[in-house]
Amino acid sequence: MSIQWNDEQPIYRQLEAHVKSLILELAIGEGEALPSVRLLAMEFTLNPITVSKAIQELVHNGLIEKKRGLGMFVVEGARTRLLEQERLKFIKEEWPQVKERIEMLELSVSDLLGEVKND
Amino acid sequence: MINCRNLTKTIKDELVLDNVSITIEPGSIVGLVGPNGAGKTTLIKALVGQARVSGEIGVLGFDPRKQRHQLMEEVAYTADVASIPGWMKVTQVIEYYDGIHKKFDRNKALRLLKDSSVALDRKVKQLSKGMLVQLHLACVLAIDVKLLILDEPTLGLDILYRKQFYDQLISEFFDETRSIIITSHQIDEIDRLLNQVVFINKGRIVLNESTEDLVEKFVSLFVSEAHLEEARNLKPLHEKPGFGKHILTYKDVSIEQLEHLGHVGIPTVADLFVAIMKEAG
Repeated sequence: MSIQWNDEQPIYRQLEAHVKSLILELAIGEGEALPSVRLLAMEFTLNPITVSKAIQELVHNGLIEKKRGLGMFVVEGARTRLLEQERLKFIKEEWPQVKERIEMLELSVSDLLGEVKND
Repeated sequence: MINCRNLTKTIKDELVLDNVSITIEPGSIVGLVGPNGAGKTTLIKALVGQARVSGEIGVLGFDPRKQRHQLMEEVAYTADVASIPGWMKVTQVIEYYDGIHKKFDRNKALRLLKDSSVALDRKVKQLSKGMLVQLHLACVLAIDVKLLILDEPTLGLDILYRKQFYDQLISEFFDETRSIIITSHQIDEIDRLLNQVVFINKGRIVLNESTEDLVEKFVSLFVSEAHLEEARNLKPLHEKPGFGKHILTYKDVSIEQLEHLGHVGIPTVADLFVAIMKEAG
């Protein structure tokens, strides 16, 4: 696990997004345990407060739960919920930009589907 | 953990510390950053009772000027361990620490050294510079103190051992009851480890923020020639020419005011350092 940090979002947001993508890719399954804050801080050389903040967001989002004395776990149904959230986000935020670019480049549906042969 | 007000020190009519006030809470990892001669070491020495200063100082509830002995049972400072005699064997160094520091954990030091390239039966003078640094750091991390002061801790260590050291700092030392102060010239290597950043220049504190607030207050803008004038009118703190784009750093200017001018990003601590030092002159 390694993250290519960017300068666009605070680190805790990027860590949050990273964990989300791990859930989407099924790298961590529902009901599975997450490494402790300390281990995550070590893994990514981050301040533990930053890690806690990312975890807090994920808990708030209903994707992760803390079980007293046992640690942190991916909630059952987390992936389905995440898929809904991310699909909505893609359609509202990312797709309009992609669409704009497609129109600017005058690409047709068949171009996009790779049906045009190159000479 | 630390509460200082109006620390001032003059050496030969020159202000080395100029009204420095600083508070550090337990559970902090603080980066103390400044050019050479800015007053970093003097400030650290004041905190551990090695430099005479005027003003109020409280470190872990002690006044370092009057209660140095009690204070130093709860503080480890890397410069204090830097002078190990060359004739000692590594094992003797461990014994030595065990003897002088009540809170030294011998087994922990040995365990940490197992992960290093230091052989226990070597003499200190036979160690390479990197090995010596590893020995120092293993000893320092094995002292169960509340405050750890690391002055350029990784100087002379290669990237592999630097990463290992920062890992150990989190896994073997840090928790919410302790604090760490780090000075380093490689800020870009530690900036994500910090939760408080202090810039010092000419004896004065020119920035003291939590990293959380830094993200809120400072923003960088990558702007092309076409929007440069407009961007300059918003009074950037700092401007530096980049490849085809200018990079402007702002304080307290909202993203909404900037985003139509170019790419908006979060400046790194190193970028901010350059910007703020230029501004401070």
